[in-house]
Amino acid sequence: MNHAAARLAAWIALAGPVATRPLAGQRPAIDSGALLPVAIERRFAETARLRVGDSISISAPGASTRRRGIVAAIYEPAPDPSTIMRRDFHVQFHLSDLAALLDQPDRVDRIGVVLRSGTNPAAAAAILNRTAFGYDLFPSSVIASRSSTTFIVVSRFHRAIAFISILASTIFLLCLMVLKVEERRRDVALLRFIGISRRTVFLALQLEATVIALAGSATGAVIAAVASTLVNVYYRRVFETTLIFSELTRGTVLFAMGLSVILGLGVGALSAWRLVRVAPVELWSRAV
Amino acid sequence: MTWHWAWRDLLRHRGRTALSLLGVTIATALLLDMVLLSGGIERSFERLLAGKGFELRVSPQGTLPFDTDATLDHVDALISALRAEPGVANVGPVLGASAFARRRETLVPLIVYGIDPDVQGIYQIESGTDLRRSDMAGVLVGAPSARRLALAVGDTVRLTGDLDPQIATGLRDRVVTVRGIADFVYDAADQPSIAVTLPLAQFLVGPRGADRASFLMIKLAGNARPDVTAARLRATMPGVTISSIADMVAQFRLRLSYFRQMSIILGTIALIVTVMLVGTLLAVAVNERIADIAALRAIGIGRQTIVRQVLAEGFLLTIGGGTAGVFLGVATARWLDAILTSFPGLPAAISFFVPDSRHLALAAAILLSAGVAAGIWPAWHAVTAPIAETLRSEAP
Repeated sequence: MNHAAARLAAWIALAGPVATRPLAGQRPAIDSGALLPVAIERRFAETARLRVGDSISISAPGASTRRRGIVAAIYEPAPDPSTIMRRDFHVQFHLSDLAALLDQPDRVDRIGVVLRSGTNPAAAAAILNRTAFGYDLFPSSVIASRSSTTFIVVSRFHRAIAFISILASTIFLLCLMVLKVEERRRDVALLRFIGISRRTVFLALQLEATVIALAGSATGAVIAAVASTLVNVYYRRVFETTLIFSELTRGTVLFAMGLSVILGLGVGALSAWRLVRVAPVELWSRAV
Repeated sequence: MTWHWAWRDLLRHRGRTALSLLGVTIATALLLDMVLLSGGIERSFERLLAGKGFELRVSPQGTLPFDTDATLDHVDALISALRAEPGVANVGPVLGASAFARRRETLVPLIVYGIDPDVQGIYQIESGTDLRRSDMAGVLVGAPSARRLALAVGDTVRLTGDLDPQIATGLRDRVVTVRGIADFVYDAADQPSIAVTLPLAQFLVGPRGADRASFLMIKLAGNARPDVTAARLRATMPGVTISSIADMVAQFRLRLSYFRQMSIILGTIALIVTVMLVGTLLAVAVNERIADIAALRAIGIGRQTIVRQVLAEGFLLTIGGGTAGVFLGVATARWLDAILTSFPGLPAAISFFVPDSRHLALAAAILLSAGVAAGIWPAWHAVTAPIAETLRSEAP
């Protein structure tokens, strides 16, 4: 099977507003047969400045003749993340027209099979594969799983980067909290001198850490929302698609904020404990 | 004196210095990884393409080699025409196709490369011997194919091509002898590939393969420039696509722009974290010692000395954390590379994280500058605080 046809297998020479491009130094002669109706995708129509009804000339790679075609329709392809980076232009023919153009009659890339209601796709594929010769049958779920491998890899990469980022953020947060609490040595020593208990001082410092963690994570969520919007606007424009590139779900926000608050509380408690376990006289002497 | 002072001050607060160093270490590791990622795969791809010494590729109009199943026709004439061009030293054709090997009652699918053994750049022999140009009964198998078919040098295997599902038979059949085991440099991991001579591959493909090739590889003469030769060939042969290595790397870069952009964003964040971390630590250190600094200034120590001392502290933190960060970064790069190289269909020889001395030097310079820059505000604060007022307010 030839899957060139699934892409833009036919070599298209545009007539009219775009210059005709000859093959291997020789321009294929035009076959005077009937016009081939083709549907072209919107992006290609805009790039080549084609409209419905425009004529084009079409040839397969290496063909000695060209065929006249007519733009019968302009369509918007369904957004497909697996082909978005290729930036190919897509054109659709009637199957028989494309087979004739490619000089490959009675050939297709793949065949979709609709099973009777209630038939198990995996069992049907297994039975049919026993007699298959030169081809394979796959249930749609297997094809979906295989074609999503790329995104699974990207997802694993994102998780790894997220792990490193969380580690870096934790250290950063710990540093800030330690520095911030250590700055309060003199205040803590004074509070302890006037009789405030270790527990109360600890809780006060912990409360402060909680407020900072909550305020920080809320600010982070707002920044993430803005960044996510900008990413979507930018990449949708770059790739001329309606795909969603960055999705900030409620679950993601809650997870990030929850993690941030837990980390803030943890490192706040650690820093506060380092301070309150020291005797007030020693704290005072370190502070001055 | 400056360095000694800075060192002593860092040692005075070992806990927070250690935490800051840890923070800078992780930020540096992330920065290093992103620098390696930003151009690593392009460098890796470029090395892979240039490794066998072929500077140009010729593929069907509008395609890159093996990007589609489209093939070049009248290949013999095209090769002759190309060989006659000035600057072209040699031309090697490659036809990629599917075929099957019979193993007992089953057909094992294989990727077949049809090549000219005298002018090829897609494999290197690991054991056995290479094919000869006229060899119509020999095959080179890759390690994955040899494993699947349990083949060794000297074994024979029946290759079948041009299958016809309607009559459930292969229209082209040939028994071949394994001449050698080859390492196919552009193959994905575990890709079952074999190589035969171009005429045998064309025979296995059937009528659709007659006088055809998927692409041609051009080796240039010593003094020929790839860009100039490619431009001239494009002008004389507009029906095919002539790609230099730079052209293909540019296309590759376009398709993988996501990783470059991501690395720039994450690298910038890592730098910001470093600046904030070092800056915060120095600001706190200066605040703590603002009375000492005011006293030093009162007895005549110059502002430049104070500034140098604060900046030296930032420099030491960055150097210490940065050095540890390089080791951590190399380890995490290997981990991330193992994840990304599991992309389906990616040549096994490609790596996403490739060190490059120029980029590493640039990253080190940026990191050190960031570390020193982080000390600017604390240093400015230290030397501009009013002496008398500071001494009065900070008096115990």
